[in-house]
Amino acid sequence: MSSETADKSASPAGSDTTGFYALFRREVLRFVRRPRNTFVPPFITNVLYFSVFGVILGERINEIAGVPYILFILPGLVVLGAISNAFENTSFTIFHGRWNRYIEEVLTSPLSYRTMVGAYVLAAALRGLIVGVLIALIGAFFTAVGVVRPLYLMAFGIVITLLFAALGVAGGLWADDFDDLTMLNQFILRPLVFFGGVFYSLNELPATVQQVSLLNPMIYMVNGVRFGFLGVSEVDPNASLAVLSGLTVLVVAIDISLFRRGYGLSE
Amino acid sequence: MDAALELRGLQKSYGDVQALGGVDLTVPSGSFFGLLGPNGAGKTTLIGILVGLVRKTGGEARVFGHDVETDYREARDRIGLAPQEFNVDRFFPIREVLEHKAGYHGIPTDRARDRADEVLKRVGIYDKRDTRFDWLSGGMKRRFVLARALITDPDLLILDEPTAGVDVQLRHELWETIVDLNQQGTTVLLTTHYIEEAERLCDEVAILDSGRVLDVASPEELMRRGTDDVVVELRTEPTAVPDFAALDDRVESVDLNGARLVVTARQGGLVAPEVVRRLDDTGHEIVDLEIQRTSLEEVFVEMTRAGEGRATPEVASQ
Repeated sequence: MSSETADKSASPAGSDTTGFYALFRREVLRFVRRPRNTFVPPFITNVLYFSVFGVILGERINEIAGVPYILFILPGLVVLGAISNAFENTSFTIFHGRWNRYIEEVLTSPLSYRTMVGAYVLAAALRGLIVGVLIALIGAFFTAVGVVRPLYLMAFGIVITLLFAALGVAGGLWADDFDDLTMLNQFILRPLVFFGGVFYSLNELPATVQQVSLLNPMIYMVNGVRFGFLGVSEVDPNASLAVLSGLTVLVVAIDISLFRRGYGLSE
Repeated sequence: MDAALELRGLQKSYGDVQALGGVDLTVPSGSFFGLLGPNGAGKTTLIGILVGLVRKTGGEARVFGHDVETDYREARDRIGLAPQEFNVDRFFPIREVLEHKAGYHGIPTDRARDRADEVLKRVGIYDKRDTRFDWLSGGMKRRFVLARALITDPDLLILDEPTAGVDVQLRHELWETIVDLNQQGTTVLLTTHYIEEAERLCDEVAILDSGRVLDVASPEELMRRGTDDVVVELRTEPTAVPDFAALDDRVESVDLNGARLVVTARQGGLVAPEVVRRLDDTGHEIVDLEIQRTSLEEVFVEMTRAGEGRATPEVASQ
């Protein structure tokens, strides 16, 4: 063994920090260097949302929960953009890596499975947060946006992007084809968000539908972020935060277990 | 020192199809070891198990004493793999791909850049450092996967068909690099279809067929087990020749065709003087003599032919 080995940390256990940083950096560079695929689409989509739903239609809609309609939908649009991008980042990078086999560069390395999942999830959550901030800034261009509960906003922002980044890992491992990714995004994620109280208040629904809606986890995310921005929520924000945090830990643990078992990764 | 690689009863099944049926193998540290076998023999499956791309279904595999499953991080850190199929990150220029790979192995960013430049120069594609993998020529791609295997300074370099589809000149250049590494102490595990390469380079080879090791020996030893042809051209067509088979039990057959005599024997080089002496004693004038030695390829074909008829699952050949 040559002297170059001295460049490595003393043991593979010690090298995980460097390895984590290398994978995290690779993941961040991938989305930062491709803004046309990562940041421009949510920018355009949200300019359209705010223009059409916020300004053109919003001016004809009465206040909801004591705030103008454009302000009411802003937290929901932030959630929609943040979680979609977090989910898309992990699901794409893992599926594309499997499809073209370059994920083997990671799998054949001495990184622990925990570190692999951690780097993928945190990089994707960062993309989700950046998109969330971008959408809030677009909203600020259309109306005055305040943050009544900044700590809650940060906490919900971090938890929901982590949760969907972690779900994206499982999605990327499960998918057998690009169509499967589209299906996850368009047929599951998007309907849940649209029926998650982004564009309307739960109070406007019949009682039965309200009860059914409470089964939709998006309700808690949208209301949590709304609580952060506006200080109003239709569900208890603390309970929501606790449940979402627990769910995030659970999904991350499942991801690590899937990596350890080689689900979708090894023969 | 631990063996570089130690396999005990290693098994892999895909449902009812058995790709590896209990492989026992020891690769000494510092050796240049060949793994030969026909398509579907299980070579790539075996390599996949070592680096975590294939899950074994039985037995044990250790890399420098580290179990590939329970001590997977230690085992993988010692291995550099140049696979047969390209599996390179297409999003980044090749220098950055190397930096990332080095980082996964715990080499800090600034040192990783230097290492990347070193290995790119070593395989002769430094000029292409800012190019993405897809834009490299076939030969450059082969060089790059070797560079990627070397970036982490592995103790065990695994080369799965490293010269497949490359021209003769590049093949020689690649081998010079690899032989140099081996001489510096890196253990090399090689699979190749170019059996003359194994014959020339390997200290030992294992013949794998249908997921089982048929034999492990040095190329010379294996070739000794094959038969050579002692071909003698006589001045005149003889009516009879001595019964060489009765004189030497290494002789397996004698074939006379006009003035051309072919004595097929094990260790033909040792049998030839006796053939010449006997012919001379019996009054035959020799005008030409050639010993056609058996090649490792012929021995390999002979050994694996014996396995024909057994299941050779396609699944094991990917």
